[in-house]
Amino acid sequence: MAEQDLVASGGPATLDTPSVTPLVALVGPPNSGKTTLFNQLTGLRQKVANYPGVTVEKHVGQVSLDGGRTLSLVDLPGVHGFSARTLDERVTRDVLEGKVAGMRSPDALILIVDVTRLENQLMLVEPVLEMGLPTLLVLNMADELEARGGAVNDEALAERLGVDIVRTSARTGAGLDGVRTYLEGVADGGTAGVHVERELSNVPASNALPVVDAFAARRNLVRGIVQEADFVPPGPSRLTERLDSLFLHRFAGPLIFLAVVLLVFQSIFTWAVPLMDGIDWMVATSGDWIGTTLPDTWYRSLLVDGVWAGVGSVIIFLPQILILFLFLGILEDSGYMARAAVIADRAMYRVGLQGRAFLPLLSGYACAVPAILAARTIDDERDRLATIFVTPFMTCSARLPVYALLIAAFIPNQPVLGPFMNQRAAVLLGLYGLGILAAVFTAFLLKRTLLKAQPTSFLMELPPYRIPSPRTLMLRLLDRSKIFLRRAGRIIFAVAIVLWTLTQFPRTEAGPPDIEQSALGTIGHVIEPVIEPLGFDWRVGIGIVTSLAAREVIVGTLGTIYGVETADEESVALQEILRRDLEPGAAIGLLVFFAFALQCMSTVAVMRRETAGWKWPLIQFTYMLLLGYVGAFIAFRIF
Amino acid sequence: MVRAEITTVPMQLPVMADQDQQEDLRLGDIPMRQEVELVSIDLPVELAEPLLERGVLPGCRICPVRSSPGGDPIVSIDGSLLALRRETAACLCVKLLSSLQDAD
Ligand SMILES: Nc1nc2c(ncn2[C@@H]2O[C@H](COP(=O)(O)OP(=O)(O)OP(=O)(O)O)[C@@H](O)[C@H]2O)c(=O)[nH]1
Ligand SMILES: [Mg+2]
Repeated sequence: MAEQDLVASGGPATLDTPSVTPLVALVGPPNSGKTTLFNQLTGLRQKVANYPGVTVEKHVGQVSLDGGRTLSLVDLPGVHGFSARTLDERVTRDVLEGKVAGMRSPDALILIVDVTRLENQLMLVEPVLEMGLPTLLVLNMADELEARGGAVNDEALAERLGVDIVRTSARTGAGLDGVRTYLEGVADGGTAGVHVERELSNVPASNALPVVDAFAARRNLVRGIVQEADFVPPGPSRLTERLDSLFLHRFAGPLIFLAVVLLVFQSIFTWAVPLMDGIDWMVATSGDWIGTTLPDTWYRSLLVDGVWAGVGSVIIFLPQILILFLFLGILEDSGYMARAAVIADRAMYRVGLQGRAFLPLLSGYACAVPAILAARTIDDERDRLATIFVTPFMTCSARLPVYALLIAAFIPNQPVLGPFMNQRAAVLLGLYGLGILAAVFTAFLLKRTLLKAQPTSFLMELPPYRIPSPRTLMLRLLDRSKIFLRRAGRIIFAVAIVLWTLTQFPRTEAGPPDIEQSALGTIGHVIEPVIEPLGFDWRVGIGIVTSLAAREVIVGTLGTIYGVETADEESVALQEILRRDLEPGAAIGLLVFFAFALQCMSTVAVMRRETAGWKWPLIQFTYMLLLGYVGAFIAFRIF
Repeated sequence: MVRAEITTVPMQLPVMADQDQQEDLRLGDIPMRQEVELVSIDLPVELAEPLLERGVLPGCRICPVRSSPGGDPIVSIDGSLLALRRETAACLCVKLLSSLQDAD
């Protein structure tokens, strides 16, 4: 492959325009390993998972090459062609066409394909090479090709296509040197710095062939190329055949699906307990330690009763969130998720959505924001709108601390289904179910009123099962912990300080006022009439208001309020105080309120962006708030 | 395969002229594990295009390998597994491979 770079590597000073680093774009069909390669080369950690359509946004990273040179690499959503029917495909096309504001057109390309399906994947080669940019063809998943007895003659293929070829296993890093060598060549060649705008489409404008014929022609071309390169397709993956006959079995399939879900919920409440106790202990002892070390001043109260009680009450829930992400990670990276989407498709079809929507909805269990972005892979605009409208009903991980706190406080820990499930897990499951019901009901309603549309088709490529990489999983959990702690550290910290300050005024002769008379108490009593029908007192009211920023903030808020209130008492667990102050019916109502209401400013912001306007986020916010209020009211009356 | 005289986007692919087999065999009627050849796609072009891009093209070999719990077909094509809806499968006109069953 490119040997000119060996000669030209005289020094980094060959170019005196260091401000313009060359831009190389990663192009390829979905699930071919673009992001895996991108992460390997840039050291970043964009999401990788084993189903098509994971990446839906462009991500730029820097690759540092030998001799201090750098180069920008952009990871793109996977495409099969350039028709850009979906929003994620449009992102790819816009970047390649040079139509993204503030981003130069790529100087070179890396076309990365899954070599085990060479014939299918090379459908992209013709339109990509037509762009006329320097291109490296990366044959990825070489490990799988060899393991399953496939073969291809790289030299013949390179010669036939007239491009450099590197064979890689991006996951293990094998063959990356070849990619780096190519990138060094690009960096040495420098960049003309010119910005080229072009038009890409599935059907070349030059010939007036109908789409079908254009594809058929391209297909024949590819078939010839693949034959000349002596491509021997690998045998079917035995593992995949065996697992599919289980997971897609008429009866066993859905049962296994259910069992997996139950296992997740049960483990959230059982495995997490020792870890949570550990964190709880650490928070409590460090709080006590700070309390005894610091002199008895106002800032001791701020730190211990305000900040520590607030932030500490939230970070206890880190283990539960990590368990959820661990399971989601395993499901996504093994390839099971794509099957789950197939199992769900019939049900989705009845609701009026498509099976594709299942993947964004499922990732809504982690967080609605990336889930709403993930819906870009849905080609029908009305389907996409309906999907992102109902996504926030999926129980995101920010609800988990709230649920866990209230459930632990009000639901006894007794078995319901023998050893397999206790009441707490059952209630948690019920809340997840409530979210799903609300989503289904809303989607059904939308698809018959505002977003009426023809039923669309559903197509899902099923990747072979792969063993999830423990390293990737661990790193993802680490990233998750950081995000969670950062939120606790920023939002909840700030809220805790504001709340604590509000509890300190107006001063009385004896110092800070009784909390009922404080500024915070006054504000709380102003809100109280609105929430009184739901059985909530003013403290919960303040919690609901602050949780409009982010749901888990309510836990921190209650932690702070009660921390200040019980500053003189023996420290009591938040759960116990809640049991004292809240009727069980109101607690259930609060759970229902959190299941329905859209208390998340990030979601509102991303909805505005993805629908290009305020209309949908406003309708959504109002609708979900009303549903939450009514739901909580009914729950309070019933229980 | 060049049909340059057709300049409009066809709503339906022309059925191959030399069809002497069963007139209207659809992918949905094919038993599991029987490989067939796709003849035409009876779908409007915007619904057909995603299929075309994934290599589901007239002339390709396609083999139903299992059905999902909901009764929708999962087919194997060029070594990829593709899940379809049965409504879509009913729009794919196919023909049985004739006696010359190939060796691979
Ligand atoms: N066996 C094997 N698996 C790989 C290799 N490269 C990537 N994978 C796996 O393939 C799956 C898809 O990888 P991604 O990097 O997410 O693919 P992508 O092209 O970015 O996919 P989209 O973003 O959906 O277009 C993941 O499960 C990876 O772990 C490889 O070389 N060998
Ligand atoms: Mg990706």
